[in-house]
Amino acid sequence: MINFALPKGRLAEKSAELLRTCGVDTSVLEEDTRKLVLESADRRYGFFLVKPADVPAYVEAGVADLGIVGKDTLIEEGRDLYEMLDLKMGECRLSIAGYPERRDVLTNPHLRVATKYVNTARRVFADREEIEIIPLHGSIELAPVTGLADVIFDVVQTGSTLKANGLVVLEDVYTGITARLVANKVSLKTKAEEVLPLIEKLREAVS
Amino acid sequence: MSFKKLPTGVQDILPRECRVLWSVRDRLTRAFEARGYEPVLSAAVEYYDTYANIRNALPQERMFKFTDSDGRLLVLRPDATLSISRIAATKLPEGQARLYYFLDKWDAQSAGGNKTREIIQAGVERLGEEGAFSDAQTLAFAIDCMHEMGLSDCILDVGHVGFMKGLLEECGLSDAEAEEVRASLNAKDGFNAERLLRRAGAKEETLAAVRALPTLFGGAEVFARAGKLTKNARALAAVAHLERVHRILAEMGYERSVCFDLGTGKSLSYYSGIVFSGLVREVGAPVLSGGRYDDLADDFGKHIPAVGFAIGLKRVLVALERQGNLPAQPVFDAAISCEEGAEGRADALAKQLIAKGLRVTLAAQYGKDVLEKTNAREKWFVTKTGEVRI
Repeated sequence: MINFALPKGRLAEKSAELLRTCGVDTSVLEEDTRKLVLESADRRYGFFLVKPADVPAYVEAGVADLGIVGKDTLIEEGRDLYEMLDLKMGECRLSIAGYPERRDVLTNPHLRVATKYVNTARRVFADREEIEIIPLHGSIELAPVTGLADVIFDVVQTGSTLKANGLVVLEDVYTGITARLVANKVSLKTKAEEVLPLIEKLREAVS
Repeated sequence: MSFKKLPTGVQDILPRECRVLWSVRDRLTRAFEARGYEPVLSAAVEYYDTYANIRNALPQERMFKFTDSDGRLLVLRPDATLSISRIAATKLPEGQARLYYFLDKWDAQSAGGNKTREIIQAGVERLGEEGAFSDAQTLAFAIDCMHEMGLSDCILDVGHVGFMKGLLEECGLSDAEAEEVRASLNAKDGFNAERLLRRAGAKEETLAAVRALPTLFGGAEVFARAGKLTKNARALAAVAHLERVHRILAEMGYERSVCFDLGTGKSLSYYSGIVFSGLVREVGAPVLSGGRYDDLADDFGKHIPAVGFAIGLKRVLVALERQGNLPAQPVFDAAISCEEGAEGRADALAKQLIAKGLRVTLAAQYGKDVLEKTNAREKWFVTKTGEVRI
């Protein structure tokens, strides 16, 4: 049995759809259920539905053999796993955003950065300004608007939320942030006969 | 905060688990001794400078540090192989040895998931040996050790850092850039590796090879694929070496237990040749890890080619449990109790039985009733005048 860690939310439906096109029986994912552990009818696949940021932890530990997760989360978590495929969906970038007229804050000796990506922000700014990181869990755009932070460091997809709050991208730090297929380093070798054909199908499906 | 608790990432090992650990240790000791390895122990405390100023400097944030009474900085043994390289270079004049050890190492950073900060290891080092036969013997012995510990369905995943080193040496990367590419390739993230190499102005041929690298794993068929990807002499030598190792392993009957991965990107400065990991599907991280590190002892003043591996014993315990291969917990063969005044006879009886190879407990209290609480197979009660069997 192959166990998948799948992200709830933004990527959930697209992930299920992609797996379905590769012959994985995902009908169990369409059922309206509060169960977090699901098994396909043919018992060949198990699915754990988890918060996107938790996918790498499940895959690194080998509890899940494969996972689908955004590159942003992979950069942030820095886990020891294989990134097998760029699934080319959910494309966005990781950017620094703030008020257009206050671009000069980026050179402030003391910069306040609000972000969900605490580890990544620390790395990005390591060789630059001394910064104060303000960890937030959502509605990051609110931070500069209310004066909690000077800039934000966050994923930008269309930029409409930024625009609605009068903010602009000041700098793109990582572009080409897309969903990735990740694999546990041991499963790839010990379950090769199950895992590899599926990875090949996924590779064909996204290319 | 409760000071009766332990800090993050370290654990006490309670009797039940400890007995399994010791039995694994006994089995390994027998296997090591049978193959002519000699035991060695390195000091747990060393100077920080020993590891901070070498070519393979360990990151300071990963070392547990404290200060000596004279103010010098000390560390808790951060790496068993480096300690043994130091011993070999400075204290073993012949420069050739086969050593085994049971040593813990400490990593201040790693914690969570499959990682602990105190890492209980067993390992072997073959010092002063070179060549495909030495490598193949080490790999075969690694597989033997996994079986010896009671693990089933083990796989040894084998690579060679020379292949990646060869591909990257043509790109004129700085050490930092090469390290970043290696880390990406080690994560099989060919996309990022290609981006970095493109920026460094790598040739199209190199890029094509690097693109293929994350898929270069499987059986012996990968050698032919790898051979077509590059003309780099060092990379091709690595493939040829692995082919020789593979032939010897097949000759010795180990072919079914090995697979190959030329995209393995373990530290390119630490390792110099083959690298390998022992895998079982029940644990998501390797239970065994090793490789060839011919240049490691150079930092300590002597060139000693070497190959070896370390076994993560905590992960082995997890694997044994999940595979249902835990050795049985032994019960006591006999329990003895006595009445007041018969202590001498009771102790003599215990010694008699122990001499016959039985495991015996002598109760701390007087009286027949204490015997009811023991799970020993035989129960004995000794009176002042003689023995009573219950």
